[in-house]
Amino acid sequence: MVKRLIAWIDYSLALVALLVAWWFATGPMAMPTYLLPSPLRTWNALAGIAVTGELWLHLGFTLQNIILGLVLGSVAGIALAYVMTRFQKLAVWLDGPLVILQTAPKIALAPLFVVWFGFGVLSKVILIFSLVFFPVFIGACAGFRALDPKMKDLAKLLGLGNLQRFRQIELPAAMPEIFVGLKIGAVQALVGAVLAEWMSGKLGLGYLMTYAGATYKTPLLFAAVLLTTFLGQLMHVALSILENRLLYWKGVKK
Amino acid sequence: MVQSERMIDIAGVHKTFVADHGTVTALEPLSITIKEGEFIAIVGPSGCGKSTLLRLISGLDQSSGGTITLDTAGRKRPVGFVFQEPVLLPWKTTLENVRFPLDTANVSRLEADRKALDLIKMVGLAGFENALPRQLSGGMRQRTAIARSLSDDPQILLMDEPFSAVDLLTRDTLNDELLRIWQSTGKTILLVTHSVEEAAYLADRVMVMTARPGKLKCVHDVTLARPRGEETKLDPAYHALVAQLRRDLRTPGGERS
Repeated sequence: MVKRLIAWIDYSLALVALLVAWWFATGPMAMPTYLLPSPLRTWNALAGIAVTGELWLHLGFTLQNIILGLVLGSVAGIALAYVMTRFQKLAVWLDGPLVILQTAPKIALAPLFVVWFGFGVLSKVILIFSLVFFPVFIGACAGFRALDPKMKDLAKLLGLGNLQRFRQIELPAAMPEIFVGLKIGAVQALVGAVLAEWMSGKLGLGYLMTYAGATYKTPLLFAAVLLTTFLGQLMHVALSILENRLLYWKGVKK
Repeated sequence: MVQSERMIDIAGVHKTFVADHGTVTALEPLSITIKEGEFIAIVGPSGCGKSTLLRLISGLDQSSGGTITLDTAGRKRPVGFVFQEPVLLPWKTTLENVRFPLDTANVSRLEADRKALDLIKMVGLAGFENALPRQLSGGMRQRTAIARSLSDDPQILLMDEPFSAVDLLTRDTLNDELLRIWQSTGKTILLVTHSVEEAAYLADRVMVMTARPGKLKCVHDVTLARPRGEETKLDPAYHALVAQLRRDLRTPGGERS
C-alpha cells in the first residue's frame, strides 16, 4: 500500500516537473507559440473542442476503431493459431503466405486499404486488425504449442469435448503468451488508428492532428498529441487490469 | 478384503512403436487378472513398459494386440489416473482442481463441492481449498492430484510413479495415506514405482518387469499382515521380499536404472 502511494507520488512529481519545464520554455524562455504553445494555450484549445463536443466525436471514433481492431484481430489471431496447432497440415500450407504477410510492413499497405475499403471505418479497422493480428497470432501459436502433453492426457482421460478442452485447458494455458502478443498489438493498434486517420476521413484524433497542422493551430495539434498519449496510457492501464484478472495465477503482480 | 470379481483382465496385450530405425517393442505379450479391491505394485527399470501398461489400461494409448477388459460396467471414466507430476491446472484453486472432473461432467455445483471438500479433507489438505497450485508444496500438489483422480469415484486407480518427485519423508507419509485411502474406498489400485521398498510395503501383489524388450518377469504375492505400518518395515518377511525383488531386478535382462 505504502509502496503504491510512493509510486503514485513519484509519478505525479515527474509529471509536474515536465509541466514546469514546458511552462518555463514557453514563459521565461519565450518560445513562439507556433513552435511550442504554452500549457495554458494547449489546455484552452482542448477545452474549446471539449465544449463544442468535437473532442468527444474524434476521441470516440479513434477509440472505437482501436477497440474493434483489437478485439477482431485478437480473436482471429487466436483462432488461426489454434486451428494451425490442431491441424499440422494446415500449418505447413499456410506457413509461407503467413511469413510474407507478417513481414510486409502493414503501414505501407495503408494506402492500399484506403483504395480497397474506402474512406470510412472499414479501411481503418482493417489496418488496425492487420497490425494486431500478427503479434497475437505468434503469441498464441507459442502458447498452444507449449501446452504440456500431460494436459492432453488429462483431457483425454476425462473425455472432454473439443470445446471443453479449449475453454478449460488450452486457452487458459496459452493466455500468458497471448498476452505478450496482445500488449505489442495494442501499441501497434494506436499507431495504426492515428495513421489511418491521417490518410483519409474527417474524424478521429489523427484527422484532428492533420487539420491542426495544416492550419497552423499548434495549440490544437499539441492537444491532439497529448490526447493520443493519454489514450495510450488508458489502454496500458486497461490491459494491465485485464492481465491481473486473467493471469493472477502466474503471480505477475508488479 | 473380499477379492472375488475380476476387475481387470489383461490377455496377451502387447505394444510396439514405430520409430525411425524400425519398430521398438515396448511391451511383450502380457497376461494377468487383477481382482476387485486388489493393490498391485509394478516395479521395473526404465523402459520396461510399466508406464506403457498403465497407459494401455487407461485407454490413453492403444495396444498393438491382445485385449484388456475392465469390469466397470460401461462407465464413461472407468479409471482415475495419477501422473508422475501433479498435472494440476495452475489457474485453478485446490477445490476447483479437485472438482474439475465433476464440473466437466455436469455434476451440480452443490454436490461437486460436497464431494470435493470430503476428498480434500481425506488427503489432508483441509484449509488449503482456495490455494493455487504454485502456493502448495510438491507433496501437497500430489495430494491434490490424488483427490482429483478420486473425485468422480472411479473403481480403478492407476498411479504412474506418483511419489517419485517428492522427498523421502513426504513419500513415507503419502504411502501411509494411500494405504488408508485404499482401505476406506476399496479401490483397485495399480501403482508403478521404482522403489522395491514401496512396492513391498503397499501391495497385495508385486509385478516385476524387465526392460528391452519390456516384459513381465514374475509376480510375487505379498503376504504381510494388514493393516501395515512402521512395524511392517521391521518384519523379516518384508526384508526378505525386498531382497528378492532386488535380485529379480538385478538378474540379466533386468538392467538397473
